[in-house]
Amino acid sequence: MTQATMRATPAALRKERTPGSIIYIVHRVAILLACAAIFYPGFNPGRITTAINRNVSLFTASISYQSLVNDLARPLARGWVQSSTFVLLMAASIVLVVGIVLCAVGGCMSVGNNRMQRRGLLFPLVGSLVMAGGLVGIYMAYLQIVAAANNRVPANFAPGFWLYAVLAAVTLATTLALLAMDRKRAETLEPKMAMHERYKIFLFFLPILALAFVFSYLPLWGWRYAFFDYKAGGELTMENFVGFKWFTYLFESEATRADIFRVIKNTLGLSAIGIATSWLPMAFAIFLTQVPSKRFRRFVQTFTTVPNFLGWVIIYAVALAIFSTDGFINNFLNNILGIAADTNYLMDSSHMWLKMWLWGTWKGLGWSAIIYISSITGIDPVLYEAAEVDGAGRFQKMWNVTVPQLLPTFFVMLLMSIANILSNGMEQYLVFSNAVNAQSLEVLDLYVYNLGIVNGQIPISTMVGMCKSVISVALLFIANTASKKLRGESIV
Amino acid sequence: MAKKKSGGMKYRATPGGVAFNVITVAVFTIFTIICIFPFYYLFINTISDNALVGADMITLLPKGIHFNNYLALRGVQDFGNSVLITVSRTILATALMVLCSAFAGYLTTKRQMWRRSFWYRALVITMYFNAGTIPWYLNMLGLGLTDNYLGYIIPAIVAPYNIILVKTYVESIPASLEESATIDGAGTLQAFAKIILPLSKPILATIAIFGAVGNWNALQDSLILMSNSPGLYTMQHRLWIYLNASSNLAATMQGGGAVAADMLNNKVIKYTISMVTVIPIMLVYPFMQRYFEEGIMLGAVKG
Repeated sequence: MTQATMRATPAALRKERTPGSIIYIVHRVAILLACAAIFYPGFNPGRITTAINRNVSLFTASISYQSLVNDLARPLARGWVQSSTFVLLMAASIVLVVGIVLCAVGGCMSVGNNRMQRRGLLFPLVGSLVMAGGLVGIYMAYLQIVAAANNRVPANFAPGFWLYAVLAAVTLATTLALLAMDRKRAETLEPKMAMHERYKIFLFFLPILALAFVFSYLPLWGWRYAFFDYKAGGELTMENFVGFKWFTYLFESEATRADIFRVIKNTLGLSAIGIATSWLPMAFAIFLTQVPSKRFRRFVQTFTTVPNFLGWVIIYAVALAIFSTDGFINNFLNNILGIAADTNYLMDSSHMWLKMWLWGTWKGLGWSAIIYISSITGIDPVLYEAAEVDGAGRFQKMWNVTVPQLLPTFFVMLLMSIANILSNGMEQYLVFSNAVNAQSLEVLDLYVYNLGIVNGQIPISTMVGMCKSVISVALLFIANTASKKLRGESIV
Repeated sequence: MAKKKSGGMKYRATPGGVAFNVITVAVFTIFTIICIFPFYYLFINTISDNALVGADMITLLPKGIHFNNYLALRGVQDFGNSVLITVSRTILATALMVLCSAFAGYLTTKRQMWRRSFWYRALVITMYFNAGTIPWYLNMLGLGLTDNYLGYIIPAIVAPYNIILVKTYVESIPASLEESATIDGAGTLQAFAKIILPLSKPILATIAIFGAVGNWNALQDSLILMSNSPGLYTMQHRLWIYLNASSNLAATMQGGGAVAADMLNNKVIKYTISMVTVIPIMLVYPFMQRYFEEGIMLGAVKG
């Protein structure tokens, strides 16, 4: 395909904004919604009784009978409901999913050429009828639950049922409309089915986008929990909507206010130490490259970078091995120097920030230096020669040639660490926390974890996390703007 | 000029210069020793006579060398299980991530893609914000990926940063190579499999190695997602539990008939399990160092 035709086609495609193309958009949106809703438990049409776990999505129901009846062991054992009802429910769920998949195939083919579009219409035609069949099956299972009339297994007409009924109806209607209109353009059919590259590539890319959407964008929807008085397993309704109550609660309640200030102090304190010493990797690199022996440099580089690739749990294991009561320090004092010692250094709560910084440096210094070492390798030797001609000594060359060459990299690193000032990560502080030092180790990330996951206080921990995310994005934006102003280059 | 580019330049041996070199080398040597000694110390305690280890007698050199502790670990059921979980997720999640990054990176170089820059930006933006731990957890709960092995795998497939790295790399491959395949009648998929995939091996090795290390060290997702399924705990999670066990770990294990009597010692068990999680990285690292270093330099190139 030549450059010219490639450019021409999009324009040609844009021209044909016929009633047909608008119906196609409705058609595709309906199919897309049906596909997305499969994975979301809130839209499961098959939650025919509230005894079915609220976290079972249509997808789960169609692949795992075990998850479907997980919470129903007692009702089934006692015969309050028949297992055949749930077998029917699962079969109907599978049929519904198959119908949606057929529609999806048709939806993909609808971006092909005329022949492919026409052939593609058969899929949603069959698919939407299959969907209807699945919905009928689910409704029959629902009627069986209603007939069982046991108040321990209350019947529930899931709102998702209506969603799928509407989507199936829309798909069917649009398909029929498109089929009816299709007759008019029989003469425009191409000899073979084909699809333009631009859509083909997009369709290949679509699953990746879908995954990114589900795992990165969909969680944002969870921010709504911050505005409700939600207890695990409860519902979000207008009754328990509390607006910004949790936000003000953070600062009004005596206990949480003390906590939040302590946590922010820890977070900023630890980040500040990190930022204040962020020149260390650069110094490490500059001095290391001054060592004449290449083999020695290689040796240092290899062994100082290893700790970076070990998890924090291992680092904690190392800490135990060296600093605990039966660790190396005490052994060394006892066995080699003959001084009686049995201090557990990890049970000491003084200078915790400094100690955490030391562990972080021990783990990361060698690795952080690599980027500077590579930059030094890339510095033009002519610069050093020129400096030599000007009579610069060793230190003058380091200070006046190497350092200025590394500053742009350093600057980017510094801005990134400022943008990440609230994100210290939680693993390091989690593993090093104990009864004595927990107070000075709890950073924001760890606080959110403790509050939400450990204590189950979903709304308030969501609120804290939400504020953190918003501030972090703002900081990144500021850092990026600063970088653009100062260096004319953005960092993200 | 044939002068060495990378530091280490020749200087006249002035007394000051020599002193500077000596001090620099000394400081770096000390730091390097601090970096590796702890692992040496852990190791000699796992291969020394367990009675001596229990009496805190092993300080600088191993005594009574044996490797029974490592063999005895085979009997520790839940650790073995967590190794299985970690090894399998490392292989599976890394392989899928690499494949997806390669394909996505290649596709995003295609200018013909419908609304390419929009979708690409939508993908890249996800690197710079996240909804927070709790909404992420609630989302995983909603998707049924908690207490579920797939919770380790599926969310790891799309890694925007790695996609950018591959995209940058693929853009540096001469377009003529792919064109020649297209002229021979290869479609997008064939061109990807036959031309792009083999040519981007170096970058794929780099992202694979970073992905594998991340999976190997994974603690947080096990902690948050799998709280009700001890059978799905990762190795690091299990190790953390052992390290924190204040009760007599050895006695608990022996109760289950897991550990030989001569290993009845908390310290030995903790150190041996720690070494088991460290050794693979230590063994692999020297061979993969090049890829690690290339990785960080690629990261410095803006996507």
